[in-house]
Amino acid sequence: MGRLNEYQVIGRHLPTEKQPTPKLYRMRIFAPNTVVAKSRFWYFLMKLRKVKKSNGEIISINLIHERRPTTVKNFGIWIRYDSRSGTHNMYKEYREMSRTEAVDALYQDMAARHRARFRSIHILKVVEIEKTDDVKRPYIKQLLSKNLKFPLPHRVAKASTKKIFVAHRPSTFA
Amino acid sequence: MAEIEIKASQWRLVEVGRVVLFTHGPFTGRLAAIVEIIDHKRALVDGPSKKENASVPRQSVSLNYLIITPIVIPKLPRQAGRGAVAKAWEKEEVEQQWDESAWAKRREQREKRRNLSDFDRFKVLKLKKQARFEVRKAHAKVRAAAKSS
Amino acid sequence: MSAKQEASKTEHKTKKFGKTERKIPHHTQKAKKFYPTEDEAKPRKVRKSIHAARPRKTLQPGSILILLAGRFRGKRVVLLKHLPQGVLLVTGPFKVNGVPLRRVNARYVIATSAKVELKGIDEKVVEKVGEEGYFTRDKAENKKGEDQFFRQGEMPKKKKMNSDRANDQKAVDKALLTTIKKEPHLMDYLGSTFSLRKGDRPHEMKW
Repeated sequence: MGRLNEYQVIGRHLPTEKQPTPKLYRMRIFAPNTVVAKSRFWYFLMKLRKVKKSNGEIISINLIHERRPTTVKNFGIWIRYDSRSGTHNMYKEYREMSRTEAVDALYQDMAARHRARFRSIHILKVVEIEKTDDVKRPYIKQLLSKNLKFPLPHRVAKASTKKIFVAHRPSTFA
Repeated sequence: MAEIEIKASQWRLVEVGRVVLFTHGPFTGRLAAIVEIIDHKRALVDGPSKKENASVPRQSVSLNYLIITPIVIPKLPRQAGRGAVAKAWEKEEVEQQWDESAWAKRREQREKRRNLSDFDRFKVLKLKKQARFEVRKAHAKVRAAAKSS
Repeated sequence: MSAKQEASKTEHKTKKFGKTERKIPHHTQKAKKFYPTEDEAKPRKVRKSIHAARPRKTLQPGSILILLAGRFRGKRVVLLKHLPQGVLLVTGPFKVNGVPLRRVNARYVIATSAKVELKGIDEKVVEKVGEEGYFTRDKAENKKGEDQFFRQGEMPKKKKMNSDRANDQKAVDKALLTTIKKEPHLMDYLGSTFSLRKGDRPHEMKW
């Protein structure tokens, strides 16, 4: 299991005399636990509507499981990300077994390439790409070619040989 | 210009249908087949062995934790289901192929030697010595015959 | 009579001081002039009890052991009996590897999975050897005294072999040797010594 889970959070403004049946808002949020998920829900809702935690309530929160966690899928993810100099929108693709794993990979990738933290990334949309023609990025496209095969060169023969100390480094060239 | 002979490389390839051996983790020493390549470092594998303590559930594994074997299940479709993989596995007799390989035999022997008791180790030492003695004796006889003639 | 005396010992005395008469308490009844600054140390109650030593499961009588310490280190020997306090009674057999009937600490021993049948062994002799004082009986006599130390020019007397001990050894080993001979290689195994070689990892070995 990865670091993140996907939660469905439903909340609304507290009922008032003027509006006894306030609108429900539903979000799918990627978070490590329910506490963070609820916090992120209010964070996003405050940006979108005039509702905050003190005048609103969360109605339900539940974990969303991956439907087929043993098949490999391609995911497209749209994000908004605050860099050191401004805000950017991005579209990235990942090849993973579940939505949460894809988002996990995204956070790692963003941290590696752009030194971006969790707080500076908003995930806008996560979509499973069903048709291979819809895959845009070459780094995913190359993995979808027919009869893909490649060798594993440059491998150390065995991690734990009998000797602990040797005079020469192992050669990885065949 | 002289004719240049071009040979295909002898690398074992990561490909769908390739049988792999686990070297790390809880499934160490078990066999599985690659069902789908996830990316350049990971693959989805499935090991539908019927033997006890030999099967591997379908999972994604880092290729670092695997060794690729020379065995391939030909024409395994991509992302084949568990049943289809099991059928192909059976049909190709992957486990028999593996058991017959020198690699598997060596592994088995090493495992056996590792589990010998002290008395067994002593017996191995003695019998080896006896065998060596016989070989030397025969060799000396041949040499003596060669010298005299 | 003695009871009377004892009673009088702790009784008050009356004494006349001028005109008045006062009771004078016995000195044991008086308040003490001196108190110790610290509480008197009481010996602590021992809450431990002596348990019989519980040997390892692998140390069954008849199993072959590897001695790790002492004069016979590395030798493979046969375990005969458990003596109290974790001591093992062991024999070579003497004829095979020169190890006599001997007591050995169970800690300094590796138990192997190999076993020898102890059937047909003279139980009485084993019992006798296992008794307390069997091995220490002759020790006291041979102890070097002071004057023996100063008479250095003289060669010390050669240790006399106790024929009793030798007979006991023979009696125990006789049955053992016949059973050992039956199993191939076992004789050589007991005659060989154990030592670590290059690349040996004793913690990973199976015994």
